[in-house]
Parts: sequence; C-alpha cells; structure tokens
Amino acid sequence: MKLLAYLRSLISAVQHRNHEDGDLDEEFLAHIQSHADDLERSGMPRAEAERQARIAFGGYARVKEECREERGGFWFESLWKDISFGLRMLYKNPGFTAVAVITLALGIGANAAIFSVVRGVLLRPLANQDEDRLLYLRQSATGDDDAAFSIPEIKDIGANLKTIKELGTLSQLDFTVVGLGQPREISAGVADGNYFDVMGLKPVLGRLLNPGDDGPNAAGALVLTYRFWTTSMHSDPTVIGKTVRLGSFEGTRSATIVGVVEPSVPYPIETQIIANIVTSPHHLSATMVEGRVHRMTEVFARLAPGAELESARAELNTVYAGMLTAHPEVYKPSDHYQITVTRMHDQINSRARTILWVLFAASGLLFVIACSNVANLFLARTVRREPELALRSALGATKAVLRRSLLAEALVLCGAGLLAGVLIAAPMVTVLSRYAARFSARAVGLTLDSSLLWIGVALALIAAVFLAFVPRLPSGDSSKGFGISSSSVRITGGSRRRLRIFAVTQITASFLLLAGAGALLRTLLVLQRTQPPFETAHVLAVNLPVMSDGRTPEQVSEFYREAQRRVATLPGVERASTSFATPWRDARFLNLSFSFALQGAQRENALDDPRARFRSVSPGFFETMGVPILEGRDFDDRDRDGAERVVIINQSVAKQLFQGQDPVNRELRWTDPVMKFIGISYEPRRIIAVVPDLDDQDLIPSQAMTVYQPTNQEGWNGRLFVRAKTDPYALVPSITREIHEIAADQPVEHASTLDDIRTEVMTPDRLNAVVFGGFASLALLISVVGVAGVLAFSVSGRTREFGIRLALGASPRHVLTDVLIEGLVIAVIGVTTGAVVGFVSARAIAKYTADFQVPGALPLVVSAGLILAAALIASALPAARAAQVDAVQALRSE
Amino acid sequence: MNPQAELLPGTLDLLILKAVSLGSLHGYGILLRIEQISGGALLIEQGALYPALFRLVRQGYLKASWGTSDNNRRAKYYELNAGGRKRLREEEEAWNRVVAAMTLVLGAEAVQS
Repeated sequence: MKLLAYLRSLISAVQHRNHEDGDLDEEFLAHIQSHADDLERSGMPRAEAERQARIAFGGYARVKEECREERGGFWFESLWKDISFGLRMLYKNPGFTAVAVITLALGIGANAAIFSVVRGVLLRPLANQDEDRLLYLRQSATGDDDAAFSIPEIKDIGANLKTIKELGTLSQLDFTVVGLGQPREISAGVADGNYFDVMGLKPVLGRLLNPGDDGPNAAGALVLTYRFWTTSMHSDPTVIGKTVRLGSFEGTRSATIVGVVEPSVPYPIETQIIANIVTSPHHLSATMVEGRVHRMTEVFARLAPGAELESARAELNTVYAGMLTAHPEVYKPSDHYQITVTRMHDQINSRARTILWVLFAASGLLFVIACSNVANLFLARTVRREPELALRSALGATKAVLRRSLLAEALVLCGAGLLAGVLIAAPMVTVLSRYAARFSARAVGLTLDSSLLWIGVALALIAAVFLAFVPRLPSGDSSKGFGISSSSVRITGGSRRRLRIFAVTQITASFLLLAGAGALLRTLLVLQRTQPPFETAHVLAVNLPVMSDGRTPEQVSEFYREAQRRVATLPGVERASTSFATPWRDARFLNLSFSFALQGAQRENALDDPRARFRSVSPGFFETMGVPILEGRDFDDRDRDGAERVVIINQSVAKQLFQGQDPVNRELRWTDPVMKFIGISYEPRRIIAVVPDLDDQDLIPSQAMTVYQPTNQEGWNGRLFVRAKTDPYALVPSITREIHEIAADQPVEHASTLDDIRTEVMTPDRLNAVVFGGFASLALLISVVGVAGVLAFSVSGRTREFGIRLALGASPRHVLTDVLIEGLVIAVIGVTTGAVVGFVSARAIAKYTADFQVPGALPLVVSAGLILAAALIASALPAARAAQVDAVQALRSE
Repeated sequence: MNPQAELLPGTLDLLILKAVSLGSLHGYGILLRIEQISGGALLIEQGALYPALFRLVRQGYLKASWGTSDNNRRAKYYELNAGGRKRLREEEEAWNRVVAAMTLVLGAEAVQS
C-alpha cells in the first residue's frame, strides 16, 4: 500500500512538472510578445519585431533550464534523469549488471531474512501480558546444574514474598487421553490455579484455570493450548464442556475441557493441554506433596508492582538461603545449592540467542563480501569510464553532479538487488524459521512482515551510498587528474589499492565463513560416521503408552507380555521386546540416573555412591538390539514381581567397580533418595549378566555405567521394539492390528526405525552444516568472482606493460606466473587476516560463552587450501590473457 | 564612450528588488523600469532576468501571481513581500557603504611626505 502511495506521488510530481513547464513557456512568450508590441509601436513590421524580441531574449531553452534549476527540486529531477541514464548504461553491460545484482541480492536477501528471524524469535515481545515482569526460577547444585523444584521447596520459597506478586507452577506429564478422537498420549502440563494469572494469559474460548480448581476436591478441568485446539481439534468450539479421561502413571481421572488459552510460547516444554492438579493422582500423593527432593515442578513468578528484577533476585536468594539452612540433611553445603532467577523472555531465548546471533554475524560477513565485490566491479568500471567522467568534468560538470550520476547508477543496481533479494528472502525465512524452531518454540509459525522490506531497503541504501563514494572523481587539478586524450585505461595507484583491499576483505570474510562451516561439517561427519553400538536399520520402535485406566499393575504387565508374544509371532518379525524408552528420542527417560551401591565390590572412597543410568527392559531386548550377552543369562519370564530381584549391568559397571572380579551373582542396590518417590525398592538385586556398553542416549557413544531392570519387576514399560526380517515399516499395520486386538483403545504411535530416529536427532547438526555451508559456498563463489574481476582488470590495465616486457624478450610463462602470484598474494593476505581476526574473535567469544569450541586445525587448513585453490582458478583466466598479449598490438594501441 | 554602464556582478538582485518595490511588475516591465530609471544607462540581459526572478521567489523575497497586462496579455506579476522589503533595505545599505568607501578611495590624492 505504501508503495502504491509513493508511486502516485511520483506521478503527480511529474505531472506537476509538466504543468509548471507550461507556465514557464507562457511567461516567456508573454515577455517576448510585450517586447515585440513595443518594437512594433516604434514602427517595426510585426514579423521583424517578433524576431528581434526573440533575439533579445537570448537562448530560450537555456533560460528555461536555468529557471528550473533555480526553482529548486531540480536535484531530484536530475537524479531521476541520471537514474534513467544509469538504467541504460547497465542495460548495455548485462554481464556486469547480472553479477552485481545477483551478488547484492544474495547479500541483501540473506541479511533481511535472518534479521526477520532474529526479530521474530529474539526481539519481539512475548504474547504474555507485561511479559517483561514475568520471571522463571531454577535451582542448581553440584551434579545437577539445572533443576526444577519440589512442592515443599516451593512452599518454603513462595511464602510471604514482597517483590513477587504470585508464583505459578506447572509440571510436565504425559496423559493418555481417551475421548478426544483416537486414544493417544499427549504431552501435558499440570498447573495450579495461579499459573495462568502469573503467566498473563487470556482465554480465547471458555475460561482458564483459577484458584477454584485447586485442591483435592475440585472437579477435573483442562485447558487446551491454542496450537492443539487449532491443529488437532480443527478449532472446534464445541469441545468446551466435553469430558475426557486422562490417564497418567498413577491412575486415570476424568476432566472437563473448560477453555482454550490464547496463542503463546509453551515453556519449558511443548504442552498440548494444561490440566488442574486433581487430574493427576501423583500430584496429590505424599511423594509429590512431601518429597523435598522430588523436583518436577516448574516455577514462574510475576514481579510485584514497583519491584525490579534485582530486588526479586535478592529477596529470593535470602529466602532460599534460609531454606538451605533449615534442611541441612538435604542441602549439603558441599553441593553448593543455588537459585537462579531470569526473565522469562531471556530464558526462552537462551538457546536460540547464540545460534541466531552467529547466523546474523555470518550473514553480515556475506553482506560485506557482496558489497566489496560489487564495489570492486563498480570501481573497475568507473576507472574504465574515467575518460568519460573527465570529459564531463571538463565540460563543466561539478564533482557533485558526477557523484550524483554515480549514486544514481548505484541506486539502480541496489534497487534491482533489493527486488531480487526480497524475492529470495521470503523462502529463506521459511527455511530459517524451520531451522530456528529447533532452538526456540517462538520460531514456529513465524511469518513475513514489512520489516523484511525495510531492512532490505536500508541495506540497499547503505550499499548504494558506499558504492557511489568508493570511486575517485577527476579533480580540477589537471596534474593529478586523468587525461581525456588517452583512450586506453590507465589505472591510478589509489584505485588499484582499493581494488586490492576489497579483494582481500572478501577473501578474509570467506575464509572465516568457510572455516566455521568446515568445523560444523566435521562435527556432522563425525556423528554420521560413528556406528551406533547396536542394530538400528531393522529395528522398529513403537510407542505403546501405559494405559492404567481400570487395570491393576499386574494386568498392565500382562498386556505388554501379551503384546510382545503376539507381535513376535507375526510373519516377518524376528524378535520383539519392550522397554520404557526409545533410544535418542525419549531424552527425558534416558536422562534418568540413580546412585547405587554394590555389595562386595570395592568402594573407591567414602564419598558419594556412583551413579548409573537406569533402564527397564523386557526379556529379549538385547537380542532385538543385536547385542550379545557377555556373561550370565538374559531376563526371562521367571523374573517377575515377587520373584527374586535381578539386574543386568553393562561392561562399564563391571570394569569400573569390580576390577577383574566376576560380577555375576553379586548384589547391587539402589541408594538414591529419589527411589522411594518413583516406586522402586531399595532391596538388594542379584546381578545375573553383563552386556556390552550400548549407549542409547548420546550420538557419540560414551562409556556410561548402566543398570538394566526387567520390565516385569516394578514395571516400567511403554515402548515396543520389533526386529524385522525385511522392511520394518511394512509391519506397522499388522502390529497395530495385533495390539488393538488385545486392547482396542491402546494408542500405537510414532513407529519409526532406530536409524530414522537417529537421523531425526541429528537434524540440528545437519541443518547447522547445511546453513553455514550454504553461506560459505556463496561467499566463496562471490569471492572467486571478485578476485577474478580484480585480476582481469589489473591485467587489462597493464596490457602495455606486458607488451613491452614481451617485446623485450620476457617469456609468456613469466607473465603468466606473475599474474598468478598476484592472485595468490591477495589470497594469502586474506587468509592470514582471516586467521588473525578469527583467532581474536574466538578468544573474545570464548570469554562470554563456555560452550564455544574453537574449530580444530583440519577445517582451518582445508578452508585455507580451498581459498588458495579458488584464488588460483580465479587468476588463471586473466593470467592466460596476459600471457597472450600481442606485443605489437599492445604498443600500437598507445 | 559607451553611455551604458557595465552591470556589476551581484547587483541584479538589488535592481530587481528596487524595481519591484515601486509596484508589482511582470518580467518585461521590470526590464523597462530599470532601463527607464537609469536613463538607459543600465541594460539587463533579458535571459539573465528570469533565473534571478525564480531564485528570488525561491528564497522567499518575491511573490508571484498571474494577472493581465495593459495590452491584455496574461502575465506573471512579481511583488515584494515582507522578507523582500527587509532584504532590499539591507542590500541598499550595503551598496551605499560600498559606494561611499569606493568614492573615498578613488578621491584620495597623493600626499607628499
């Protein structure tokens, strides 16, 4: 719309101009006629009088031009004329124009796109009301640097705060939801009645949870998130009032859908529905209410009116310190318990911030490269045009006029670059926001807005002004200026130096980008080359969430045994087993690790007990994964609740804690204080087998101590693994059918092979490499064009020199190597500068973020080699041309 | 000797302002009036008049409006506005100072020491 208005005003300005031109004519004619009248009165014939009057008036067109100039607004008008002149000039040099416009488009487009994403993800305020007064609380201690809170802790901290208006709490839980379409597992939050008030969110439909929904006697109520409502419920307003069954690990409750919350960023986890506390039996249990170390609750806070972040921090620190001293048995001073208070906005952005600013820096480098390149081309062209400029200058054009015509041309170039840039920016934003969505929920559904255009316009203007002021103009002093007489191009020292500087700048920036991309690519390659320690291609993982609605734990266990049995007999299935977590995907479960103690094993010292990863697997799990049992026996059907408690340990436990002794038949028991809250006993368990280390959590396998329990004891279940003889995905329908025959309302979800899960988990690394690799290749391409341009230009300017040298007997090979060396020198200086700049900035960055890794030597060496090779290729063509200079021709052209 | 005086640079604006200060005039009228007042001694190049007029309009000293001349032609009339009157006064004073100084200098006679 704004563009239309602008065009309209432009048109009216031109019309206005024509109108005023008419005025000028009328005024001048009146003058001439009046003069003629006087002459006629003095006796001259009319025709002669008019002729005389015209002569007396002088050069009609010149006077008109001068008047227009005096009237003002002339500058713009001339600029317009210059622009059309510029358009014609560019049209006549399609090669130059295309290269310059494409380069600018890349520079402008990439920057505009990334800025849009940075703005949308980092800078835009959250939807929450008064979002800058919304805080997020975490605590940390040695061994656990980022923990949520337990209910007793929240009670201790939250009482009588002056700087905080209210605390809101939310804990994550997966509900198996029956009554909303297909039964399925839904990621949910269980919130107290203050949560929505603290978050500053409003309903778009119905109501949200309030303090009336708290307490054990309230009716079950749940609120849908906007995203879930629109995507899964198709924005159906009749869902309000519907009653659904919510199943969690300690039982199933009914709840009524009371409302839909406005669109907002879910944090810290993507929740689809938010229910009140009564919907989760676990939240009402003593474990939850009294367990001081049962930390599963997120705490949000809203600053009291007038209070500031700093004062809230101070008060919370004081209150927290008081709690620590009141419970020394839980908070050992050696563990350094600490509370952290951050603004919600900063917290949400924390993951995306670094990566986006790095991207922004990368695109900034690309812009610098693009501008340098176009500046080079532009400068080279201006130097060629020096005779023309000198001629115009001699004919009376002032420096300002010449600069204006250069500016006009630069504007035309950058305008075209802007148009093309905006066109490529739109799809880039889509790709980038998908990329950024990996780091921030805020990038989901990011849309294009006018800021993209404005940032593009700003960049184009910057580039245009830069381009217009780079070339040197002929000065009035003829001794320093350039002659018009010589038709051949003579390059002045200043222009040549500038050309080199731009070429070096491009090489420097490209090298930095290449080195960065190289480091990321290497990370990816290492990940891809790493062989997972177990079978992945033929193993299908399927989610079978626990459905405890109306069933005893024994019945639930029996369901999984039955499922495993029936699936195993399906044609095409080699082996089936169950577990409680899918490798790589279920990070929340895979993270579980508890402290334990061995009987008979050497305790390293009296300090804390060792910790091991906790896994719950069914009989046949190791066989399904293609992992041998090194010693002892696998779990079997005898290992049930009530029977002797058994575990299997991995090699790391055996090696680190038994040191050569035989671990089989030794006893192990969990000692972690958390155990009593999750229903796992402290009784001793007999070690029945040792298996190799099979890291199912990290992409690069580590040697983490792991203890396996049978799913049939203290039943932790929910994932089915099927080893297929042929195509695993072909089995999905028959598996689903088989499961539904046992239990019709059992969700069967997210079937994919372990291979695909691994690939999916690696996506961020791949995207990193692709995005930065893309940037770096663009930069390299532009730089090659830039270096080639500079050298070609330099060669054409030295034609005479080469001619003389060849005439004096220099061999063409000498000339050739001369030019090649010139190109290499530019590249070497660029790479060296890049290395220095990179080193300095890496040290600066390392000061601010701990997780910054300096790329290894390999990517650096490879990038440097690439740049040098590219420079050589870029110099080859100009060098060949220099060697082929015909001496006689070159000298005659003088 | 040529009875017509060479127009000094920078004096055209002053002459135009003065001519117009006596009553609103169109371009040709301004020429005639300057010629007439100076007794034909000052002749203005016609082509130079209009750029000067446009400049004075842009600078805000003159106001232009369309009207009808004595011989029934549509013509653009110029008149002084407040800024123009002030400018005229200043220019006149400056000119008088220059003239006085020039007269003094040119009237000096050699003094024997």
